[in-house]
Amino acid sequence: MAYKRQFYPGTTSPAVARRRLMDPKVKLQKLREVPIEDVVKLMGHRNPGEDYKSIHPPIEEGSEPDCPIRKLVTPIDGAKHGDRIRYIQFSDSVYFAPVSPYQRAWMYLSRYRGIDTGTLSGRQIIEVRERDLEKMAKEFIENETFDAALTGIRGATVHGHACRLDENGLMFDAWQRYLWDPKKKEVKYVKDQVALPLDKEIFVGAPASMEDLRKRTTIFRADGVDMRDDKEVSKYQHRIHKLRTLGGYQPFKVKGV
Amino acid sequence: MATKEKMFMEAVKKKFKEEPTDISTSYYKYGGWKQSKSKVEFQAAAEKIAKDRGFPMMNEDIGVPLGQRSWMPYQLSHTDIFVEPDDLHCINNPAIQQAWDDIRRTILVGLDSPHQTIERRLGKEVTPETINAYLETVNHTMPGGAVVQEHMAEVNPALVYDSYVKVFSGDDELVDELDKRFVIDINKLFPAEQAKQLKAAVGKTLMQAVRVPSIVGRVMDGATTSRHAAMQISMAFISSYKLAAGEAAIADFAYSAKHQSVNMGTMMPARRARGPNEPGGIPFGFMADVAQSDRVYPDDPGRAALEAVALGAIIYDQIYLGGYMSGGVGFTQYATAAYTDNILEDYVYYGIDQINKRYGGFCKLDPNDYDELMNLAEDVDSYSLEMYERYPAVMETHFGGSQRSTVAAASTGIAGAMATGVADCGLNCWYYSMLEHKERAGRLGFYGFDLQDQCGSANSFAYRSDEGLPMEARGPNYPNYAMNVGHLSGYTGIPKAAHVARGDAFTANPFIRVAFADPSLQFDFANVTKEIGRGGLREFVPAGERTAVIKG
Repeated sequence: MAYKRQFYPGTTSPAVARRRLMDPKVKLQKLREVPIEDVVKLMGHRNPGEDYKSIHPPIEEGSEPDCPIRKLVTPIDGAKHGDRIRYIQFSDSVYFAPVSPYQRAWMYLSRYRGIDTGTLSGRQIIEVRERDLEKMAKEFIENETFDAALTGIRGATVHGHACRLDENGLMFDAWQRYLWDPKKKEVKYVKDQVALPLDKEIFVGAPASMEDLRKRTTIFRADGVDMRDDKEVSKYQHRIHKLRTLGGYQPFKVKGV
Repeated sequence: MATKEKMFMEAVKKKFKEEPTDISTSYYKYGGWKQSKSKVEFQAAAEKIAKDRGFPMMNEDIGVPLGQRSWMPYQLSHTDIFVEPDDLHCINNPAIQQAWDDIRRTILVGLDSPHQTIERRLGKEVTPETINAYLETVNHTMPGGAVVQEHMAEVNPALVYDSYVKVFSGDDELVDELDKRFVIDINKLFPAEQAKQLKAAVGKTLMQAVRVPSIVGRVMDGATTSRHAAMQISMAFISSYKLAAGEAAIADFAYSAKHQSVNMGTMMPARRARGPNEPGGIPFGFMADVAQSDRVYPDDPGRAALEAVALGAIIYDQIYLGGYMSGGVGFTQYATAAYTDNILEDYVYYGIDQINKRYGGFCKLDPNDYDELMNLAEDVDSYSLEMYERYPAVMETHFGGSQRSTVAAASTGIAGAMATGVADCGLNCWYYSMLEHKERAGRLGFYGFDLQDQCGSANSFAYRSDEGLPMEARGPNYPNYAMNVGHLSGYTGIPKAAHVARGDAFTANPFIRVAFADPSLQFDFANVTKEIGRGGLREFVPAGERTAVIKG
C-alpha cells in the first residue's frame, strides 16, 4: 500500500489551515503583487539588476568530487550557479496573524528543498541560495501567509509579535520599517529588513480584516479557537508527550498508546 | 490565597494606561529613552566619562531607538517595590551580586574529623570550652587575621566584616554548651516540625558554616573558598589547641576542610571552563535549600516555590548563563519575567487551587496516574497561556516567547510537583507545557532551548547518568541544561515545590538548609524578591566594598 502523506490532525479552522499550508499540492492564494525589484530592495542583499555573488564555481564546471549522494540529489538553481546563501525573516503577530513561526518552518520544509530555517517565538528565518530565495520571498510576500499589518519583514530588532497593535492595527516595530498610508489605506515599507532607508516607498497592500484573519489563522487562542476544543489536536499532543516520556523511561509500556 | 482577582493586575495597570484587556495602544511618541529615569542618568554619566577620558563611551542614541513603547516599570513579585529594568541588571544590582557572594563564600566544614585527630592522634582533649576558644580564634583568622607568625600582614577588617564562622548541630545538648554567638540555632530559626526533621538529618555532627569574605570570592574565584577556609581553619586549630605548625597531622585539618566539606557548587566539565564552586555547579536541590521562604512563611508553599524560582533566576540565569557563559549585556529581561509583576504568582496559585479542588490537597495525586498528571498539566498550562491571550497587557509584559514559555512551564511544573510530591513528575509537566505551548501558539522560545524542551519529555524520568538524574541533583551541569537560558529559574522551583508540598524541611541537603537560615548573612534568603527590589532601589548595602582603603 502506497503511503499517503499526512500533514496535521484536527478539525478546527487552525488545524485545517495548518494542513493547507503544509500540503505542497495546495496552491497558496496570491493576495497582492509586489514587483521582484521591490522584493530585492526589501531584503537588501543586492541591488536590483546586480549580478548574484557566488561562493563557488557553477557545478556544471565539473569541480565536484565523485560522490553518490551528489548523484542522487538534483541541486536547486542557486546551488547550480554557486550563489551565496542569504535570508528573509518574517515576524508574525500573536494577534491572529495568518501563520506563526513553527507553521512557517513546517510549511517551508514541506514545500521546498535546499532551505535552512530557524524558528523563534516571534520570527522565522529562511536561508537559501540567493536566486531561489528571491523567488520564495516574492511568493511569500504576495500570498495568503503575509498580512500587511500583522506580518513584518525584519532582519534585526524583530520583537513586536507579542505587543499590542497600534492605532492602525499594525504590529509594533521599533525601527518603524513600515507605515500606514492613510491616503491609499495600505501599508508601505520605508526601510529594508535591517532598517536601512529605502530609496522608494514599497506598498504591500491593505491589511486583512480581523474577521477574515480569525478564519484563516493557524494560531489557537482562548479568544479564538482554543486548542482544547480540537480533541484530535489535543490527543495528538498528549500522545507525543506520552510516547517520548515512556520511550525514555519505560519503553516496554509503549503499547497501544 | 485568592485567585479571583488576577494577581498581575496591579503591575500591568501601573505599566499601561489602557485597560489590560485592550489590544490597541499607541507607539513611537513617548520621547524615546528620555522617558526612562535610569537611561537619562546613564546618558549623563556616560557623557561626563567621555569628556573626562577624551573619547566616546555609552550613548543611548546609538543603535535601535530605545523607548519606542511606553517605558514599563517592573514590580518585584509579592512586594510593593517597582523598579526599572536597568535596576535588575546583575551588574547594577548589588543585592543580586551579594546573593551570589553569600552562596559562593559559604563552605560547610565538619568538625568531627579534626576533633578526632586532636583527641586520638594529638592526645588533647576537646571540650565545649576548647570548641568555644577555637570558634573565637577562627573568627579572627577567617577574615584574615594572623595567629602563628609574628611579623604578618593582615586584612583590614573593614573590608571583610562579612566574614565569620558559626556552627550548628542536631545535638541539642552539645549546642547548649556552646557560645551562642557562634551558633546557628536550628530550634530558634525553624518551625518546630522543620527543626525536628533537620536535627534528625544533621545528627550529632558539629558542622561549621564558614563565610569567607565576599571580596575574596570577587578577587579570586569560587574555588578559592575551600582553600581560604582550609588555611584559616588550620591556623585556628594550631593556635587554639597549641599545636606544632609543621607537624604532619596538621595536614588532616586542611584535608578535612578541603575534602570533607560541602561546597555549594559541584565540579563542572572542562568544556565549561569553570572551576569548582561556581554557579553552574550548584544543583537545583542545593539552590532550593538556600532559598528560605518556607522557614519564615511555612504556611505559604506557593511563595516558597516562587522565591526559589527568583533565586534561580538571579544566580543561574542572570549571573551564570547571562554572564559567565554568554557574556555581554546578558539576559536581564528574560530572567526577570519569572520574578516580577506577579504573573508567575497568579499561575502558581491557580495551580494550587486546582490541586486542592481536584485532589483535596498536596501529594494526593498518585504519581503513577500518568493520564491524570497530564490532565493537570494541560489545565495549568492552558490557564497560563490563556492569561496571555486574554490580557494583552500581560502578553506585552512578557514580550518574548522565551519569557512566556519559561513562566507557563514553571507554573505547570510546580503544580505537577506539588500534586504528587515528586519533583520528576513536576519536570515531566514542564515538558508537557512546552509541547502544548508550541502546538497551541505555533511558537515557543528560541534556538537556545527549544530543542531541549522538545526532547525533554524523554529524559524527565530517566536516572541514567548521561541522560537524567533526579531533579534535585540536576543543575546547569546537566547536559541539556547547559544553555537553557531562562529555564534554570523554573527548574529550581520544581524540586522546591515537591518537597514543600511533602512537608519536608529540606530539598536535597539539610546542612545547606540550616547554613542559609543564618541571620548574619548579608542577603536575606527568606525574602529574595524584596532584597532584589532593595538592590534596585539602591537601599541594599553589600559587603566587600573597597571604600575603607580608598582615600577621599
